[in-house]
Amino acid sequence: MDLTRSEEAILHGEEGEGRQKAMELVTALGKIYGAEDLIDITSAHLSGASYKTIGDGGLKYLEDMVAGGATVTVPSTLNPVGMDRTRWREMHIPEEFAEKQLRIIDLYGRMGIRTTCSCTPYIGPNVPSFGDHVAWAESSALSFVNSYIGARTNREGGPGALAAAILGKTANYGLHLDENRRPTVVIDAEIDGSVFSYSLLGQAVGMAIGGGVPYFRGISPEVEEAKTLSAAMAASGSVALYHAEGVTPEAGSHDVSELETIHIGPAELEAAYDKLNRTDDVQLIAIGCPHLTVKEMHQIASFLKGKRKVNRDVEIWFCTSAEVRDQCPEDVRIMEEFGPVLADTCMVVAPIEGTFERTGTNSAKAGNYLPTLCSQKAMCRDIAKLMEVVM
Amino acid sequence: MILNGRCISPGSARGEVVKLDEPLSFLGGVDGSTGEIRVGNGGNVAGKVLVFPKGKGSTVGSFVMYDLMVHGRQPVAVINESAETIVATGAVISSIPMVDLIPTVDVFEDGDIVSVDADTGTVEVEGVELREAVSSALVDNGRVLMLSRPATSRSFPGVWSLVSGKIEDGEAPVDASRREIMEETGIEVGSPDGTMDPVYVREGTTLWKVFPFLYRVSGAEPVLNDENEGFEWVPVDAVSDRDTVKGTGRVLGTLLG
Repeated sequence: MDLTRSEEAILHGEEGEGRQKAMELVTALGKIYGAEDLIDITSAHLSGASYKTIGDGGLKYLEDMVAGGATVTVPSTLNPVGMDRTRWREMHIPEEFAEKQLRIIDLYGRMGIRTTCSCTPYIGPNVPSFGDHVAWAESSALSFVNSYIGARTNREGGPGALAAAILGKTANYGLHLDENRRPTVVIDAEIDGSVFSYSLLGQAVGMAIGGGVPYFRGISPEVEEAKTLSAAMAASGSVALYHAEGVTPEAGSHDVSELETIHIGPAELEAAYDKLNRTDDVQLIAIGCPHLTVKEMHQIASFLKGKRKVNRDVEIWFCTSAEVRDQCPEDVRIMEEFGPVLADTCMVVAPIEGTFERTGTNSAKAGNYLPTLCSQKAMCRDIAKLMEVVM
Repeated sequence: MILNGRCISPGSARGEVVKLDEPLSFLGGVDGSTGEIRVGNGGNVAGKVLVFPKGKGSTVGSFVMYDLMVHGRQPVAVINESAETIVATGAVISSIPMVDLIPTVDVFEDGDIVSVDADTGTVEVEGVELREAVSSALVDNGRVLMLSRPATSRSFPGVWSLVSGKIEDGEAPVDASRREIMEETGIEVGSPDGTMDPVYVREGTTLWKVFPFLYRVSGAEPVLNDENEGFEWVPVDAVSDRDTVKGTGRVLGTLLG
């Protein structure tokens, strides 16, 4: 790899062991992916925040990083953790888990990372601009900023994104380069336009193409829909960038006339639905994957207003960021009649497998990960249909 | 024998090989506090040079490697055919020297003593000598010529083989293959009808780098010299029933596939 003199100096330990380790990691990953050099980044978003996912090895790694004086040099945010940091008892979280989780949050904070723990940092505290190079982990968020904003990031892993945040640089390959941002297939989408239909569309596209850069015709996603679509395609496939004709900022700069077209319509959506639905009976309904926006909080509160939860055996969790929760106290009051509005966490990274076996969600992303990461049988329906279970 | 790979994580180490033939997920595959391997033939990674084709599975695997280091049970070095993000990340954050772009894990055997200099990407397999050979499949209408090696043969005694032999100094592999076919069978062949990347076959302290060739023939009748005791035209799909030199089936599959 072609490193500048100052980058070489970091690699040789002239700026301390913490930065040397970070440079070793960024250059090792760059070599694997054929990067020719490094590129400056304007922000980072880190995964590997839940004690459930990183375990004692990850906790010790973070302790050692902090002890070594590691600090980030670009604005950096953190993914959801395994619990709401104050209401974890309502989530049936064991004491030991809570104690270790709080230590992890504290360690990230000591490295200068903003510890609003959310998978939607692009709504609030960490908003890249068009053309920015960034180092983001969290598959749904990085797909959103690549696609809907036109920032540029690869699918970074937790330690890789942290190393990039420490250096303010990442390896220059993949989606940082123009040639890899071209569409690879046209998706002719036929959906009803509801948020849930974007979940099924993303699921169906991931199932149909796996990876690549889809170019959509026939959809007009706003933030909530794009968030849902990004999450679903990154979970059912490995899509990290898509374009939507007339909507996303880079869509107009590509000629797609030679590309194969795949139609995704009712039959494909039904197959996606069947894949995600493996139970008709749930113990937990968890909404907010990715985290709910203010607009979604309003919609849910309007839907729930005046209704009553009859089935007390089923728990309901609403997951969002602390910032969004603070912005809509009236909605929160209505929603709390049904279940806790939790911040900093979600049903995928919380250790729900200790309490529940069957979980309902409106998210295709959660529908993919609940069986694999949480040992759940999953139900995936739109919010109104999910709520029928308790009303 | 010295192999040239690529540095993924710097440092150097010497140790005994523990090898896995399949891609490894550290999460689930290795116990982070004891180093015990839970897949393949088992064993323990602690203090060993851990050789496997590549990583797979959950990204948490990087932290399992860190956990091994915290417990003092980490491998002293890691060798992969091709590095991927999870193991590379784990090796770097845990300060475990790591080299990749080694042609194949078939180069190594459990118990080999190897010195890894990750800074230069080199791996020395102590006491093992690299020798080059050719191995030619003569195929006549779906049958391949197999030769029976005598029990007294210095390499691969008592098994069936393709038409094989050592490459002489300065000799091109394709010339060596034609020479060996003429010497061992009396058959004259033209240009090969197929070839493939060399394969590596370990036999004790020798590592054979074998250049395979395919020749299609018609009605040829072998006249053996004294290097082999017999021959048979074996249907290609029946070769796997025979006791052959290691890797023969795989070579035939690639040449004819």
